[in-house]
Amino acid sequence: MNNRILLVDNEPDIALGFKMGLEDNGFIVDSFNDPQTALSKFRAGLYDLLLLDIKMPKMNGIEFYQKMKEIDTKVKVCFITASEIYYYKEIAKGLFPVLGIRRLIRKPIKMENLVKELKQELESINNYNNNNNKYN
Amino acid sequence: MNTILQFLSKANTISSCGDYKALSLTIEVEEYRKLLLNLRKRGIKLRYITDITKDNVKYCKELMMKFAYEIRHLDGIKANFSVSETEYLASATLAEEVQQPLVSIQQVIYSNVKDIVAQQKYVFESFWNKAVPAENRIKEIEEGFVLGSTEVIQIPSRTKELFLDLVKSSKEEVLLLLPTTNAFLREQRLGIIQLLKEAAECGVNVRILTPINNIVEEIRKNIFLTDQGNKFFDIQPIEIPTEEIKVCTVSILVVDRKGSLVIEKIDDSKEDFIEAIGLATYSTSQPTVLSYISIFESLSNQVKLYEQLKTHGKMQEEFINIASHELRTPTQAVLTYSELLRRHPEKKEDMIEAIYRNAERLQRLTNDILDVTRIQSKTLKVNKEKFNLSDLLSKIIEDYRSNIEKNNSNVRLSYSESIKETSLVNADRERIIQVISNLLNNAIKFTEEKGGGEIYVTAEEKEKDDQEVAIVTIKDTGVGIDSEIISRLFTKFATRSQTGTGLGLFICKSIIEAHGGKIWVVNSANSKGGATFAFSLPISQQQEQQPILSNNRPGR
Repeated sequence: MNNRILLVDNEPDIALGFKMGLEDNGFIVDSFNDPQTALSKFRAGLYDLLLLDIKMPKMNGIEFYQKMKEIDTKVKVCFITASEIYYYKEIAKGLFPVLGIRRLIRKPIKMENLVKELKQELESINNYNNNNNKYN
Repeated sequence: MNTILQFLSKANTISSCGDYKALSLTIEVEEYRKLLLNLRKRGIKLRYITDITKDNVKYCKELMMKFAYEIRHLDGIKANFSVSETEYLASATLAEEVQQPLVSIQQVIYSNVKDIVAQQKYVFESFWNKAVPAENRIKEIEEGFVLGSTEVIQIPSRTKELFLDLVKSSKEEVLLLLPTTNAFLREQRLGIIQLLKEAAECGVNVRILTPINNIVEEIRKNIFLTDQGNKFFDIQPIEIPTEEIKVCTVSILVVDRKGSLVIEKIDDSKEDFIEAIGLATYSTSQPTVLSYISIFESLSNQVKLYEQLKTHGKMQEEFINIASHELRTPTQAVLTYSELLRRHPEKKEDMIEAIYRNAERLQRLTNDILDVTRIQSKTLKVNKEKFNLSDLLSKIIEDYRSNIEKNNSNVRLSYSESIKETSLVNADRERIIQVISNLLNNAIKFTEEKGGGEIYVTAEEKEKDDQEVAIVTIKDTGVGIDSEIISRLFTKFATRSQTGTGLGLFICKSIIEAHGGKIWVVNSANSKGGATFAFSLPISQQQEQQPILSNNRPGR
């Protein structure tokens, strides 16, 4: 069965490019440029994985994910950012384990590697205390 | 008298002490003068300790010059004695009246007992070492300042009184360095901070260096709430010393650059001032006071530099993050679409367009960073030519209108101008285009963010500070600017959007200022909101013999 992904990135070129690339690799992708619209369309159990940008206007990816978690407690997530990781390091260390976030991907990334990352996350067991945190 | 004569005739070195009255007695009485001249002829070494005052300073100088006395000053000395190698002589009383000198010395104590002489020699040497050279004291009296002294205060209640008195006596300046936030709070309870506030209200320049916590910050805010005294009251935060390195464990108070009070803190946990302090040193000696001032100033400068360094570090981090985001995002797009292009030849046009768009974004970042580098290294060049600003604006607006139309944007662009045909600016055309484009792009971006609206561009001539200037105003009805950011909008990395380098307005400001103009911004006061950006450029009137317009069309 094809995995369904919700993609949110405020950069239209990025969102569209990722959507096309991921669809070429067999995923079903819904993409949004605005977190608020994405949130209004979001239903529990609809998606296997969220792929979220962090730096977005109005609501950043982490705030957005916290709202998503209230609706769907099981949904998996990968963050993707063009910002420097140290910028989010404190949030990453403090908040990520609490929220069950394990994967932080940096742009730019080639499609094959992005696909690999997403597949790994999808195959992983939902264990929030996993020590294999990528952002450490 | 005979005893005295005998004493003097036998001695080879004479060390004497006399109170403030003794000097005049020595000089003014004829008998003594003769004796002294005689002593000088014999080459006797003469040392003398006295209390040099304004009244006896002339006698003191005479003794030094005419009779080769070596004199030192000791504040308020009472002793009247002389000691030679083998003999000791003291006068018990000295009469007030000098008219009858020989009668004035009513009683003398004489001894040639070895032990007594040795004891008195010891007393003299102790005084001698403590005393200051007469030259210094004379200079102080003649140049009009009070002799400085340093005193150790062992009784905390006295220190407290002195502290309060010193602060109350301040007329020009108070410097106060505190070691801990607790020290600040103790002094607040003691009423010192209130006294300083009142002093500042009377124009005394009050500066405090103190570690800051929430409570101190609260007090600081309250002080600065009142209008009066703010100008003269400065509380500068210093880093709280760590447990390991207790850099500063004393409070230093310097009043009017004349007196210093240094108080040891022995138990910082105590709430009461008296219980918390140990020894104190009070000094009115210039070198000591100046040293404390220099400690205060050095620390103050160091704190300022440290703050600058921290801000600089933060800005650098911010820059790396913004530059990184602006570099990685378009690179990601170029990378993704290049890959997609291979698999989706049917969407070739769209993808090439996307790659081009993102390559352009990379180019903009590159140019911005290069511009900032030029600005900072002061190598930004402007190639000036004379042209009519209104003509340039018309062309730019035209281009923007067709772009807006092409993109189906909800933004309307209006333009009105009142600049005379003969009014030219002497400026770098490409750089001015860069500024106008930057301001227009911002206006469009933030108006679109609000779902569309009107942008009004005007160009007019005005006289400002006796100079004819052209003023260009770009007023949008967009989302406006947060008051938090508006004051530093033209500095580096101040950005109101998530996309953008935060460099554009900094570059605009530098370009306009390089042309002798000004750039500013206000939030629109009307209900529609939005921001108004404006810049001015000096006008130079057209001269017949010079070409007015360059043939180059602005390349955009």
